[in-house]
Amino acid sequence: MEDETFTDINGKAISLDCQSHSSLCREFTVSVPKVSIGKVLVFTCSVWLLAYAVFFFTENTAVLSSAIFVTLVGMMLYIHFVKVDHESLIVIHSLGIQLSSSFASGRETTSFIEMSKIKDIVINEAIYMHQIIYYLCVLLKDPSEPDAVSSVVPLFQSSKPRLNCLVKVYKSCQEILSKC
Amino acid sequence: MVLKVFFPQCCNRADSGLLVGRWISGHDSAVVLAVVHYPFIPGQVKQYVQQMKAQSGGELSVLGSWSLPKDGQEGMESFLRDLSTIFPQERWLQINRQLGKTGFTCQVLQRDQNGKVIQRETKKKVEGGDEEEEEEEEKVIFVHYEQKKVMFSQLHPLENGVPDPKTDPPSELRQMFQSVAGSAPLFFLDRYDDGPLKSTHWQSDGREASILVELLKQASVPLCMLLGWLLSIWTWISNARVFSLFPLRFLSSKLSTCVQLSHRTEHMRTLSSAKPAAGHTHFIRKANMVVSFLVDVSLGMLLIWWLYRDDHISMLANTLVPAADHVAKELEELLQWLMGAPAGLKMNRALDQVLGRFFLYHIHLWISYIHLMSPFIEGILWYGGLSACFGLTFALSLLSDMVALLTFHIYCFYVYGARLYCLKIYGLSSLWRLFRGKKWNVLRQRVDSCSYDLDQLFIGTLLFTVLLFLLPTTALYYLVFTLLRLVVVLFQGVIHLSVDFINSFPLFAVGLRLTRSHRLAEGVKFRVLCEEPGTALHLLMEINPLKCSTVVQNYRTPTYSCYPKDSWAALIKKLFVGELIYPWRHKTTKTD
Amino acid sequence: MGPDGVPGPAVPWRKVLWECQAFPDNYVDQRFLEELRRNEGIRQYRYWAVVREAGFVGEQLSCVAIFITLWLYMEQSLLFPETLLWTSLVCALLGYGLHRALPAPVESGCEPRTRLADLQSAAIFLSFTFGFSPVLKTLTESVSTDTVYAMSAVMLLAHLVSFPYAQPSPPGSFSLNAALFASVCLASRLPGALHTFAMLTCALLVFALWPCLLQRLRGSAPSQFAGVCVGVCVAGVAGLGSQWPGGAVLLALALGSVTLLCPLLLVRLQRHKDNIQGPWDEAEIHEDLGHFGH
Repeated sequence: MEDETFTDINGKAISLDCQSHSSLCREFTVSVPKVSIGKVLVFTCSVWLLAYAVFFFTENTAVLSSAIFVTLVGMMLYIHFVKVDHESLIVIHSLGIQLSSSFASGRETTSFIEMSKIKDIVINEAIYMHQIIYYLCVLLKDPSEPDAVSSVVPLFQSSKPRLNCLVKVYKSCQEILSKC
Repeated sequence: MVLKVFFPQCCNRADSGLLVGRWISGHDSAVVLAVVHYPFIPGQVKQYVQQMKAQSGGELSVLGSWSLPKDGQEGMESFLRDLSTIFPQERWLQINRQLGKTGFTCQVLQRDQNGKVIQRETKKKVEGGDEEEEEEEEKVIFVHYEQKKVMFSQLHPLENGVPDPKTDPPSELRQMFQSVAGSAPLFFLDRYDDGPLKSTHWQSDGREASILVELLKQASVPLCMLLGWLLSIWTWISNARVFSLFPLRFLSSKLSTCVQLSHRTEHMRTLSSAKPAAGHTHFIRKANMVVSFLVDVSLGMLLIWWLYRDDHISMLANTLVPAADHVAKELEELLQWLMGAPAGLKMNRALDQVLGRFFLYHIHLWISYIHLMSPFIEGILWYGGLSACFGLTFALSLLSDMVALLTFHIYCFYVYGARLYCLKIYGLSSLWRLFRGKKWNVLRQRVDSCSYDLDQLFIGTLLFTVLLFLLPTTALYYLVFTLLRLVVVLFQGVIHLSVDFINSFPLFAVGLRLTRSHRLAEGVKFRVLCEEPGTALHLLMEINPLKCSTVVQNYRTPTYSCYPKDSWAALIKKLFVGELIYPWRHKTTKTD
Repeated sequence: MGPDGVPGPAVPWRKVLWECQAFPDNYVDQRFLEELRRNEGIRQYRYWAVVREAGFVGEQLSCVAIFITLWLYMEQSLLFPETLLWTSLVCALLGYGLHRALPAPVESGCEPRTRLADLQSAAIFLSFTFGFSPVLKTLTESVSTDTVYAMSAVMLLAHLVSFPYAQPSPPGSFSLNAALFASVCLASRLPGALHTFAMLTCALLVFALWPCLLQRLRGSAPSQFAGVCVGVCVAGVAGLGSQWPGGAVLLALALGSVTLLCPLLLVRLQRHKDNIQGPWDEAEIHEDLGHFGH
């Protein structure tokens, strides 16, 4: 599929990759741009300058080493727990939906929702900070009442694509889900 | 309709033969469990399947045929199709794999009531892309799974005990997991056995280890009986009448050693029960208890080894008394400082002197008590150290109790200060209402206005003034002694937390999660396997292990720290009002 | 002149909401302003009557001044506590006699106090004050003098502000408590325990018992009441003048403005009052529902 250019809600460019493995299974991957080197530099420099300023007044070298330590640990934590590299959604007909997000460090979290639990996939609106955004979400069935929705699982939580991207994903998801 | 075939990875290269497995009711899916190889007598296969069915207690049938043509084996196709008449099934799967190709092809033969074979086939030409028949065809998804992992894994969230009939039947994946786990007897057939049937499926490699496990199980029975007997004696002793008298029972509920003892007894009682574990959770709980007990005891042994090696006990005893003396001296200095004008605060000198002397006298008493005790401390430590052979937790609890006993003077000061302060605060609050001409209406739980007599007003104001001007002095004493008390409580709290950690941390479950991550499954994840155009969709099912935090949450042994505690705000309010705080939880059953 | 009497071609407008009428919603006719009323229920004040009432405020002000004067004397040891105690005793006895002699205002449902109860109260006052005076003496030792003065000033001001001038007997709790608090603060600065005791007794007389007596006097003999007020004011100014002439001038100015100037202003500003009432006001619910009974 051709890659259109999409943006997330903050206007940053993201890329959507749709792969159709067969008529029964489709995979959507939303990739977020990598960590910019400038941002890392700014962060590192600010921490080190601060540490140097403290060192200048206290003349304690432990400050400098701890600053290096803090930057390293902070970056590691950031790429391991915060920075999401890409999020993917696999829709498999009659089996279920799999959501996974992989972090910049390579860590991957995956969860699979069986088809028997899924009611539908919809695009929803939400108030986010001071704006209204759209998001894609999976509606889960309530086991006791077949018509009720017990909970909602939002998709692409960290990349937050805009509506045009969501609509595209939504349409091809519905194509698979509605096939019987 | 889409057919899902769960196919074990170990059967990928199996010789041609029959597929043995089961259909999952309610879903269009088949779980292939084993492949019975080609040279077979159909009657024997039927008999074998019946036998296995009886042993595993679940449904088991011949699902279809499997062909992986080796060189020189041509023309199997029609033979395999004819087999479907021998094994009457509603649907007959015919799975083919070409050598050198990764993808499978599958044909489904459907049979209706009349016994007439209706054939619908999914024949996706490997070479060509002509899929003109697709609209009519039944589609197949192959889900490959690793038999061993699926067999041993436990899918969470667990249904506690028996599944509830009210909720809907277990989901497809759960049924699939259950059917793999339930057909363990099928996997006993060894590859190298000289039987009439040969089959391919997962095989245990560690027969020897399983023999060891069996031996251990046998050995654990008398051990449990012995333990149970010892426990019954212990219970008999602890239930004796002497121990249920008031002061002893009160004391034992406050001493952390006794609390720890009762916890351990409870654990041992659970372990020594003759009944096997009811479910997976219960089993893991028991295993956790065993492991944490063993770790505890070994840590305790380590402590004993350190304590008794170089006469560390007497060293400790020799430092303990001067330390207590030192604390008392520091307290004395603190009191002297408080009796002056501490930090330039405006204290009432007379009250200050009275309080200071009172506390000084207390410290004096305390020091003489310590000196009276000092010859015995070494002995106490020596015998107390022996308790570590029951486990590190006992030693820690004993330490906590000893700290509590050694800082009893601080506790006393705190109680005096808090009581005085509490009295003042309550007096001031009610007199302030009087000052404004209001009073607390108990019946309506609100403040009402009230007209007081002249003499009531006069005396109230007099007392109010006195209390108001004396408040800073009392508050300062209270503050200082509360801080001291908080230090002690903090220390005891850290000890309690560590004891609690050892008691309740699910070591076995976490170890299982780290070494055999497939054993505790949160769910599954799929990967799209082969991308050959034209073949059916192949997915690889992997097991998504449970998160470590969830493991700890699910399997921790319940202890007292799991219950909700006072919030910080409540604690601060208590401190402000002058209520007493304790490291242990108050039994709040007095309300009824 | 009702609309019924003027047969017009159209249906007359009626001030009701439950009928559909051929008028816009905000329509009113000429009768709208007929119901306008001005300054309803106004009371016309007369200057001297207002001055007489305001005299009570001035009298309370002077009482505070007298108390402060006494305290100043005590602090400089110009007045011995024994003297003060004896004087207080005599005053209290005289006042008590006067209080019994004056006819009590008729109160329903509440029995007049017996002599025994009065004696009991007096015993409680005296014993508690005497018992507490050494404690009170050391109470504010470590608190700085400025703080004590500021606290007493604030409390005395609170006493004056919150004093129930219309109904001073029994004295309002807060005003009495504030005055007592101030007097305890002040008394604790005196040199000896007996001084404290004497000062507190004096405070009790001035702030608690004197308003009761005065109220009874006002009820039974209004002309004497005015005289007493003037007397107290003069005594306050004179007393303060003997210790602190500047303060006396200030007090005199304050008294003059409170008793003479403020009533004058009130009477002058009276005629500028323009208060309109009419049907546009929200409905008032009158509490006298008794006439619905028959």
